[in-house]
Amino acid sequence: MSMDRRSFIAAGSAGLVAPFAGPAQVFAQEKIVRFTLAQDFTRIYTFVTSEYSQGQRDYFTLINDRGGVGGYKIVADVTDHANDLPRAIEAYERGKREGAVLVDPLSTPVARALVPRALEDKVNMITAYSGRSDAADGSTFPYVLPLSINYWTQAGLIIEHFKKVEKGSLKGKKIVFVHIDTPFGKEPLPILNVLAKKEGYELAVFPYTPPGNDQSAIWPQVRRARPDFVIFWGAGVGQTVALTEALRNGLPMDRVSSSVWLSESDMDVVGREQAKGVMKVEPCVGGREPKVIKDIVAEVVGKGKGAGPENKVGTAYYNYGVQMATLMVEGVRKAAEKAPNGPVTGPWLNEGLRSISNFTAEGLLPSTTITKDDHQGGGMGRIARWDGAKFVPISDWFSANQDVVWEEIRKNSEEFKKSGK
Amino acid sequence: MFYRRAGIRHTRYQDERQLFPLRFDRGLILVVLALLLAAPFLFDRLYVSGYLLPWLIWTSAALGLNLLMGWAGQIHLGYGAVMGIGAYGSVHLVRFGVPLEIAMIVGGLLSAGIGTVFGAAALRMKGIYLAMATLAMQYVVDFVISHSSAISGGTLATLQVPPVRFLGIPLAGEVPTYYLALAVCFVVTLFMLNVRRTSFGRALAALREKDYAAQILGISTFRYKLLAFWVSSFIGGAVGAVLAVTYLRAISPDQFHIELSIQILAMIIVGGLGSVLGPFFGTALILFAPILLNNLLGFGANAFGVEMPIDLRAHLPLVAYGALVIGFLLYEPLGLAKIYANFRNYLLVWPFRHAQR
Repeated sequence: MSMDRRSFIAAGSAGLVAPFAGPAQVFAQEKIVRFTLAQDFTRIYTFVTSEYSQGQRDYFTLINDRGGVGGYKIVADVTDHANDLPRAIEAYERGKREGAVLVDPLSTPVARALVPRALEDKVNMITAYSGRSDAADGSTFPYVLPLSINYWTQAGLIIEHFKKVEKGSLKGKKIVFVHIDTPFGKEPLPILNVLAKKEGYELAVFPYTPPGNDQSAIWPQVRRARPDFVIFWGAGVGQTVALTEALRNGLPMDRVSSSVWLSESDMDVVGREQAKGVMKVEPCVGGREPKVIKDIVAEVVGKGKGAGPENKVGTAYYNYGVQMATLMVEGVRKAAEKAPNGPVTGPWLNEGLRSISNFTAEGLLPSTTITKDDHQGGGMGRIARWDGAKFVPISDWFSANQDVVWEEIRKNSEEFKKSGK
Repeated sequence: MFYRRAGIRHTRYQDERQLFPLRFDRGLILVVLALLLAAPFLFDRLYVSGYLLPWLIWTSAALGLNLLMGWAGQIHLGYGAVMGIGAYGSVHLVRFGVPLEIAMIVGGLLSAGIGTVFGAAALRMKGIYLAMATLAMQYVVDFVISHSSAISGGTLATLQVPPVRFLGIPLAGEVPTYYLALAVCFVVTLFMLNVRRTSFGRALAALREKDYAAQILGISTFRYKLLAFWVSSFIGGAVGAVLAVTYLRAISPDQFHIELSIQILAMIIVGGLGSVLGPFFGTALILFAPILLNNLLGFGANAFGVEMPIDLRAHLPLVAYGALVIGFLLYEPLGLAKIYANFRNYLLVWPFRHAQR
């Protein structure tokens, strides 16, 4: 291979100088609020992030095109951190230097590493469906905001729904919990155990080895356990494999449920027809019916400004992205209401985010109230069932077992507080 | 011209035995060291805690692995687990109130102990088989950590590092943490530079070239293979502690998975096996090439108004990164350190053509 020295040095120095080039000053004249949306597009979360991020960006476009919120425009820096800590921390530090007041890493490992930094630097970190579940305790984690139902609440909702199906009592019933054998997969266990005692059901737990592309040894055992209900808990490839194996072992789909991590894309893999009946937890409305999504279709996607493929608009994860974006924007609106002239800082936005009350984003979310103590937003969700084409809600927005969930939240946040001193 | 090499020869044995016999090299090292020492006051926080800090930590770890792979020729695919043992050991100790200085050393010893037990496989196997044995270590350690909640830290499997002091200085903010990492990296580098001048280093080199030939020469392969694992694992464990305390600040099992092992392995292969300078270059390339390429592409796309889907924008830097790594290895299979050595050789007697050394 021949590469002359001159071109080698030229290329090398170009590479060295490049990172020092500043960010493009797009809205130099306007009042802006900057968000760092460094997420994992390439390693583990992949298509989940793509759809989630597409929803977020489409909503920001909608808001900016309408003239911003409270006199502010949203600038969202979207980059890839590949679930890699050095990359994520670099992106966080870079964002902070450029004046970002909010970061949304959408990754549990990254969120964990950023918690001490965000608390120290007073940068709002959104940890929707990721990160520490005990961050719902706003008094311990003032700058970590899940703004969404954590895994403990999701488990609580599922159990409550099962109870409703069984006409109010789970006594003597058998619930099987199949989960990926990682900390994330084991997270709901304390809640399920406490509820087992309280409700009198029998809990059987089957872990599968990550990443879960082979679960054929587990599911025959699940079948032999003769469960009344099955909960499967995983992410990415593990979810579709679990569902396929559940089908193969003839488990009745209408008694199988998962967390929020189930989407139309998963159903394409499993088979839309076959998976009919399976349940999931819905944190916000799916599909294109909500007004916000309709507006996006009309004003953003319709005008060719969409951030991604049009057929993804209205899918589950797309809507999660819109959901989080609406909450962020509502936070900015509230903050601008309280202090119209800023200055735009982490604490400024924090005040806004933590005073969101009874917010539904025109019917996209359950009523969400964020307070200085409760960063989960009230713990409302609903159960939806796959009908072969879309997820259809089979319950109203409801909240359940929050006493058990909050006990667990407090226990863990106490522990965090203790080690911080 | 730069090295003032032509015609200058040593006149005393001490001069020849120095770590850096050439004055220019010594000067260069001092300048780099001075820059690193002054970095927190010269550069923005982004560059100190976003680039220099991880660079120093990962380099220290890569140096430790390089002792085993580059010097002793024993392959290890579970170095991330070794670091994990040190990190968990020391963080638990710190949480019990043990001073960090002692916790770091105990963490190192813990890694060294466990690492040597698995390293004992090297007494019976070589090459690809040893790779499998060390890979097994990675998975066993991962499993044990994530399945004993006493180690991993309860339901959330996150172990918070409490505020700590090192030699009386509180490790808070980016400046003290940076200096701790710099100090550790300095000590490890100094050790690695000197190890090749000792009987230990020469024994390892003999072992690497042919273990039974070394045995015939009177070098106990039993002893030195285990010693190589011991020393390398100790460095790994101590660096793991530094990584946890200064950089991660909250540890969870997934931080020490196979990805970390492979990353560090890639650093020493790209940097140059058996070189001290190599890991510094290799770490910089492996850690920062994706970031720089990503930023470069983002900047270029913004500056020239190129619209591209985010998936493409996220994946293109990875394509370029892969090409870069392969390109460097094709250009010089001995690694980045060798590219630097070639360059240095060329300049040694520049503008004349022939270098003697």
